[in-house]
Amino acid sequence: MAKLLIIEDDLVLQKALSEYLTSEGFEVECAEDGEIGAKLALTGKPDLILLDIVLPKKDGYAVLAEVRADENSKNIPIVLLTNLGSISDVEKALELGATTYLVKADYKLEEVTAKVKELLHIK
Amino acid sequence: MINLKQRIYDELNLKKQADELGVKVWQAPSFLFIVMGFIIVVAMTAVYVVSINYDYPEIVVISESLVVVLLFTIGSFIIRTVEEVAKANKMKTEFVSIASHQLKTPISEMKWQIELLLIKFSTGLSVKQTEIVNEIAHSSEKMGRLVNDLLDVARIDQGQLALAKEEINFCDLVDDSVQSQKIFAKARNIDLATSCNVDKLMVLVDKRRLSVVLDNLISNAIKYIDGNGKVEVVVENADGFAQVCVRDDGVGIPKNEQDNIAKKFFRSNNSIKNRTDGTGLGLYIAKNIVEQSGGKLWFKSIENVGSEFYFSIPLVDNEKNNLNFK
Repeated sequence: MAKLLIIEDDLVLQKALSEYLTSEGFEVECAEDGEIGAKLALTGKPDLILLDIVLPKKDGYAVLAEVRADENSKNIPIVLLTNLGSISDVEKALELGATTYLVKADYKLEEVTAKVKELLHIK
Repeated sequence: MINLKQRIYDELNLKKQADELGVKVWQAPSFLFIVMGFIIVVAMTAVYVVSINYDYPEIVVISESLVVVLLFTIGSFIIRTVEEVAKANKMKTEFVSIASHQLKTPISEMKWQIELLLIKFSTGLSVKQTEIVNEIAHSSEKMGRLVNDLLDVARIDQGQLALAKEEINFCDLVDDSVQSQKIFAKARNIDLATSCNVDKLMVLVDKRRLSVVLDNLISNAIKYIDGNGKVEVVVENADGFAQVCVRDDGVGIPKNEQDNIAKKFFRSNNSIKNRTDGTGLGLYIAKNIVEQSGGKLWFKSIENVGSEFYFSIPLVDNEKNNLNFK
């Protein structure tokens, strides 16, 4: 069973996403700020990380950079969840090593799940 | 000293100044000041040439001073106004952008919760309850689209609309759009047909956004038919471009309004304006997305006969051959 880490400070979104993914058979761990998120990303050995950009304590870009800098976690696929989505935000995220990004308001949970499965090669 | 140097440099950095105000380079205040200086010098020379014939040096001095004071006052006033308008415009765009971002969070929360309820926790809901939740889902979709449109417009105005381009088959994209509009067409008694004489037209586009463009054009065609009618979507390979035409036999666009049709918030004053809902943003966004994808959008329309909306996107091979393409 693949293990996912959701780093999202909006608890309503976090809960909806984690319940949906859990019911799809994933093991889900959640963090509500960047500091806890980065710690869990480095120690929890997740198979994939869903990461919000605007976060308390440490923003998504900083978490992204930290995860990519660590030898053990640098290859974990990271999906950025954001409602930003202007050219500069997206470019910055991809430059820092995000695998892909999703605009939360435009994506259904079903589509987020499909993306996660695609990245983990699960059918 | 360094500060002064930096200030002079900033004042002369027209590109930066124009970007900050969100205007074109020739509208930047420093550029306008340079133009004003040039005009004043020309005017002074002209006054000198004319008044040199008179033998009174006082007249030359007085006229020169008058010309300089007058031109400088008028010029500064114009430049200040241009600068203020540009600033106000920029603030307005920023406001729309921030407000839409704030609205997006509760909209995502609502959409995800409804989806979770309907797909994972719907056991025990009665038919009536499911129907009501579906209605709520529909309304939240509508609100989401509206906020997205506003945000897209703000991004277009800031030159910040991000396109996630990937190589896809244009024909499939059109097919998907037509399929998704079939129910809407049927509900209005409109015959929606496609014709495509090619089966593969590879283009490099943002799939989601381009399907928004197609959805906009097709749903407009359906919406603006009074009573029964027909909408036809034709795809073809036009000289290295994937071209689509959405043709309807609807109310058409009055000739005197055709120039405004792709402007922000503009809605044509046609016979069924009040019976159809719309924000006047769809075509503005569509045009910008198509142009940013390297294509073109245009239309032909005759009032009470119908409209044809076209757009074309460069084919991938065509793009590789054309080095100047950006």
